Amino acid sequence: MTSRSRFHLNRQGRAAHVFLIPWQLGFLLVTAVPLLASLYLAFTNYDILNAPEWTGLENFQRMIHDDQFWASVRVTLIYVLVSVPLQLAFALLLALILDRGLKGLAFYRSAFYLPSLLGSSVAIAILWREIFGDDGLINKGLALVGIHGESWLQNPRTALATLIVLNVWTFGSPMVIFLAGLRQIPDELYEAARVDGAGVIKQFRHVTVPLLTPIIFFNLILQTIGAFQTFTQAHIVSGGTGGPANSTLFYTLYVYQQGFVAFDMGYASALAWVLMVAIAVVTALHFLVSKYWVFYGDN
Amino acid sequence: MDRRGFLKVSLGTGLAATAITTVAGCGGSGGGSSGGGDEVTLRYAWWGNSIRQQNYTKALKQFSTANPSITIEPEFADYTAFQERMTTQIAARDVPDIFWIASPQVLTYHKSKLYRKLDDIPTLKWDDYSKEDLETFKLDGQLNTLPFGIFTPVIRYNETVAKADGVTVPAEGPGWTWDSLAELLVAYSKNNPGKRKGTPYAPDHDLTFEAWLRQRGEQLWTQDGQVGFTVDGLGSWLDWWEKLRKAGGALSLSEQEGMGPDWAQVGKKVLVNFGNSNHIIDDAKMFPQEKFRLRAAPIAAGAPAGHKYLYFPRMAIYQRIDDGNLEAAGKVLDYNVNSADMLKTVRLTMGAPTNPKVAEQAAAFASPDEKEMLAIVAKERAAERKPRYEAPPGSSTWRTTMARICEEIALGKTAVPAGAKKLVDEIGAGIKRAA
Repeated sequence: MTSRSRFHLNRQGRAAHVFLIPWQLGFLLVTAVPLLASLYLAFTNYDILNAPEWTGLENFQRMIHDDQFWASVRVTLIYVLVSVPLQLAFALLLALILDRGLKGLAFYRSAFYLPSLLGSSVAIAILWREIFGDDGLINKGLALVGIHGESWLQNPRTALATLIVLNVWTFGSPMVIFLAGLRQIPDELYEAARVDGAGVIKQFRHVTVPLLTPIIFFNLILQTIGAFQTFTQAHIVSGGTGGPANSTLFYTLYVYQQGFVAFDMGYASALAWVLMVAIAVVTALHFLVSKYWVFYGDN
Repeated sequence: MDRRGFLKVSLGTGLAATAITTVAGCGGSGGGSSGGGDEVTLRYAWWGNSIRQQNYTKALKQFSTANPSITIEPEFADYTAFQERMTTQIAARDVPDIFWIASPQVLTYHKSKLYRKLDDIPTLKWDDYSKEDLETFKLDGQLNTLPFGIFTPVIRYNETVAKADGVTVPAEGPGWTWDSLAELLVAYSKNNPGKRKGTPYAPDHDLTFEAWLRQRGEQLWTQDGQVGFTVDGLGSWLDWWEKLRKAGGALSLSEQEGMGPDWAQVGKKVLVNFGNSNHIIDDAKMFPQEKFRLRAAPIAAGAPAGHKYLYFPRMAIYQRIDDGNLEAAGKVLDYNVNSADMLKTVRLTMGAPTNPKVAEQAAAFASPDEKEMLAIVAKERAAERKPRYEAPPGSSTWRTTMARICEEIALGKTAVPAGAKKLVDEIGAGIKRAA
């Protein structure tokens, strides 16, 4: 390489950096600096009004004896473990149905995708209160057959289930991705399977599922991370309390309560970092286990 | 333009924008003297619902019309959002010149030295207040916040429904006790044509809880900023509610859709409600065909003298206000409390006026509901009252913690004694952390 071409490349490099300045500034000011600040605050007692006071690991030790913290961990884990598989199964089922060349496919695809856009909105959370409330649509329906139902949202045994139903209802986004994945599976493979005498179920099990595993894996990662961060629905449905009896106290809602209701920013930062590490660990585990069940076609 | 020229222009524009942003960041924002003449701009922050927002915005405009040199920039938010915004504004030292103070934050802000003293501002008059009044307004002996309304704990009942159902709510006096109220609520719930319940489940209502404590010789907070009640004191209150709930005298959590129910939803399901005296003004409007009346909180047998109390919503002037804006800010505060003009626009949703003369003037234009509220506050104000202390730093979430524990008790997840101990411990831990 001549010195002129090195100079040329350097000049190009400088130009690239100039164009990257807005992004770099945004990353530094909006992401990196707050991230590092929250890491520092996690080791302090900070109420916003007064200067942070270094307390070492106290915030993390406090979590061990904090009943609310454990309640929020429990609720979030149940939600992730139940709602994500249900949502993915439902999305895959609908994708398989739509993939069979249904008439009006574009309409159904849009109609099923719509809840994904609305699902985490305030309006839908309010609608959910109206549906599952004491005087809500569900209980009005039950009353027609002589059953007197209580508020589904005020019963600790059913409140979380209503939010799981809400999450499953937003199956549109993974469904569209599944649909795209199904379109990529070559027809010849199904023909070969049929020639070998495979029925619909065997085709699904031995052709569709293996070739769809990268898509399932992709959806699983995205939906798991999203489920860990669920906030709006729980905040609106429970009025920000996580009730009844902590049954909808999602982890992010508890972080919010500590940060913006109690103004205990040090503890809230520590909680947020624990969540980030937990999500990172779960995602890494997914990747580790993926080599045993995800088939990329080239291995 | 060639590529070199384009890069130069881009870089120049970027640097200029950065420089502008930096310089802008160093400058103050709003609220300052305009520099020329005597023009003053003040920021005024308050909370409430949309009706209060409209009324106060209108009243502040009227003030500016009458005082053309003073412009007021309104900063309004819902109660919860107001506290969040105030906290971030305080952290950024960008606090409004005049602001209302949410009750859990009164002493927290005081500790953070946010309030400017008010007794040396020539435009803010104190002549109408008695010496006793001024003493009750002070925080740690300093007159640095301005109480601009008075609330008292009350039982509000639906007189129209009571008459139709043949129920008589006892008059205040020896027969008006917590036990007689509970009996009335249970009996009514068992037998009324509208299948109403006696009351919403409201053991987390702070003002009536405080009345209960003071009638038993306890208090909400001590002078030195600690929890002022015992586990037994709190337990007795929770127990009273638990018996009432189990006997069917109160709505279930399901019927009222959780703690802190919406009055618009439960107002048609109950006979009475536990509340603040000022709530009648907005709440009664939701049921315009019905007439609501107020009773002071029932009184326990053997209640000590001086158990009655008044609660004051407060406002303040920011400690770092420009000296040149101070007199104008004093004028705004004076307009808020020492003149009936503003009340004609904003009405009495923030309680009875603290200025006794303004309270008398307000009676002339008050609505029937407002008159009901003024009468009950006047009576409580005339009673002997021992001092009451504001919530200490670190206790700001005590009401949400109390609601959570009451909910756990109602759902059978916690027993009353364990719940009471948990609440006292949690509040105490918060205060300790903030100390």
